[in-house]
Amino acid sequence: MYDAPHTERDVDQQDIKISARKVQVYYGTTHAIKDVDCDIEDKTVTAFIGPSGCGKSTFLRCLNRMNDTIDVCRVEGDISIDGEDIYDKRVDPVQLRAKVGMVFQKPNPFPKSIYDNIAYGPRIHGLAKNKADLDEIVEKSLRRGAIWDEVKDRLDAPGTGLSGGQQQRLCIARAVATEPEVLLMDEPCSALDPIATSQVEELIDELRQDYSVVIVTHSMQQAARVSQKTAFFHLGNLVEFGDTGKIFTNPVDSRTESYITGRIG
Amino acid sequence: MPVIWLIVIVLALAVAGFILGRTRAMQSAGGDRRHLHSLPTYYGSNVALKAAVPAILLMVVWLVAQPFYVNSVVSGMIPDSAVADGSSRGLVLAEVRRAADGLDNAVALGAISEEFARNARADFTDVTTRLKEAGQIVTTQITQPVLRAAQKYRVMNATGNMIMSGVVILIALLGIFWGLRETNKDFRARNVVEKSVLALLIAAASIAVLTTVGIVLSLIFNTIEFFRLYPASEFFGSLTWSPSFGGGSELGVLPLLWGTFYISLVALIVAVPIGLFAAVYLSEYASKPVRSFAKPMLEVLAGIPTIVYGLFALLTIGPMLLSAFGPDGTGWMSGQRAVVTAGLAMGIMLIPFVSSLSDDIINAVPQAMRDGSYGLGATKSETIKQVILPAALPGIVGAVLLATSRAIGETMIVVLGAGAAARLSLNPFEAMTTVTAKIVSQLTGDSDFASPEALVAFALGMTLFIMTLGLNVFALYIVRKYREQYD
Repeated sequence: MYDAPHTERDVDQQDIKISARKVQVYYGTTHAIKDVDCDIEDKTVTAFIGPSGCGKSTFLRCLNRMNDTIDVCRVEGDISIDGEDIYDKRVDPVQLRAKVGMVFQKPNPFPKSIYDNIAYGPRIHGLAKNKADLDEIVEKSLRRGAIWDEVKDRLDAPGTGLSGGQQQRLCIARAVATEPEVLLMDEPCSALDPIATSQVEELIDELRQDYSVVIVTHSMQQAARVSQKTAFFHLGNLVEFGDTGKIFTNPVDSRTESYITGRIG
Repeated sequence: MPVIWLIVIVLALAVAGFILGRTRAMQSAGGDRRHLHSLPTYYGSNVALKAAVPAILLMVVWLVAQPFYVNSVVSGMIPDSAVADGSSRGLVLAEVRRAADGLDNAVALGAISEEFARNARADFTDVTTRLKEAGQIVTTQITQPVLRAAQKYRVMNATGNMIMSGVVILIALLGIFWGLRETNKDFRARNVVEKSVLALLIAAASIAVLTTVGIVLSLIFNTIEFFRLYPASEFFGSLTWSPSFGGGSELGVLPLLWGTFYISLVALIVAVPIGLFAAVYLSEYASKPVRSFAKPMLEVLAGIPTIVYGLFALLTIGPMLLSAFGPDGTGWMSGQRAVVTAGLAMGIMLIPFVSSLSDDIINAVPQAMRDGSYGLGATKSETIKQVILPAALPGIVGAVLLATSRAIGETMIVVLGAGAAARLSLNPFEAMTTVTAKIVSQLTGDSDFASPEALVAFALGMTLFIMTLGLNVFALYIVRKYREQYD
């Protein structure tokens, strides 16, 4: 199943965008992430795979400090974006999250119009000088989210009235509207049907032109299809991290092999 | 036999029926419960239900019907001459019942014998003295017709009760027999029990609905009676409220409605912002320990009886306002009873309503909404202002409307805090009164239910009922509309 010729895939040598060293995460007394070292490259899609509860979503949420909103969660170690420690006291997590956008597992459009959903981020960050400017940002983001043609005639309709796949693309467009540098996606296709999934996957591939994309997925086919780098997590450890083609065809660690061949998970 | 013993006997029969039914079912299955259609307890319950339910229903009907029958018979025994001028047959009948009770008690105490109590030729003066000696209250001399009627009343009731006991126990036994007859291993006892549970639930629901209908009907008839005596155009159009039981009263509802509206408005101006902000703090900012302490504390406010709020308004808020706005201060306020006094107290009372409901509604906004907003780099207050409150708004409006109907229906705080003067004025520092407070004052004391001054209370109640009903329906409509949004 995984004998597709990924080894041929060309991976450009890129700058390191996010660098994580010795990251530990605790939920109360539970040690959820153990000693994770990971370098995420710019203009690359990095996939996190692994069985449920292995810590991949937790690690993803460390990258934009979303874990701060959970009371019992504690993060140790260094994570830096472009060489700046994001857990430094001087860093405002709110500003950080504008720079590191996030798309969630379940499409979560606000109960507002499609236009207001997209304009939400630009408005709170003051990205638009005037209404025309904002209109332009909204259109550009919806185009980037590959949903413009479907919604351009009903921007005033509520975002919650769209189909699941459209909602998820709306959420991606919403994340793109604040012009982030990194886009984190937490199982973005798990609530979508195969057609919507392939639309979102195409979109992820396009987004790679401008952003560093990190995607958590349960589908190994998806990881193989969209990513250039893959990280395999197991029981809170980062077991193996490398080029997607190599992970899927010639894994070093026996646990990785067991997982991708379906023996554990 | 006292009714309580009859009930105990029927229940004992039901228990016996349960055990018999269970045993019989097990026997029919050859002692192996796996061959039964239902669990053995269902067979037992089926028999028990058939024993108890028809018997107890019959008893209830009998207990309701017997007094009517006995009364009509006894009433026929009293000649018209025995009904004194200025009295009525109902009063004489009450006398009969008292005499009968007196005889009962005297017999129970052993002061007179059963034969004496039944002796149709007994002299009424003798009976009166004997009863008085036995310590039974006899208001006047018992007259001969009353004594006769009382004796008949006793006898009829005693026979009636005896027959009832017999019939009820017979029905219970027949029920057991019926239940046992149909008990065999293929009988679907589980489905029968399920149906009776359904019947119980339907009965409970219909009692609630029928009571509402009953309340409305009792209001409607008296309201119609009122409008027969007093023109509706005056009631809804007149600007004066000055009832006088001597006649010539003006009963305009407008000053009362205005007072109700004004005091509720002040209360809502106090309660809505405070309650809402408290809810936002508790649901979004407060840490777990603070929340687990502060929320019950806030809800304690809802448990305080309104009369206590009334005292608080009268003794604390009123004097405080008077010292600031009274003759020594700005001079707007002449007495401590005023719209603001009652409005403030009522507002404090409503805070937990608004905060508790809003808190639940804000918590019901999915976490995904918050995550989405935080993920875009919004701060907490931006998220609350632009995502959570708009999403929760219909629910919050529902909470405010429910609080409004509470405010409109409030009485004690108004009586103590706002005074009793019905007045149309814009000055919130003046005393005013509300519809509810006036209903109380129109019906307190000796009221003649044939005069418009007393009947107006029902028209006021009806007005209030329609207003709050409308508000509640509107609130429910909005809350329901909100529910559809995330489900």
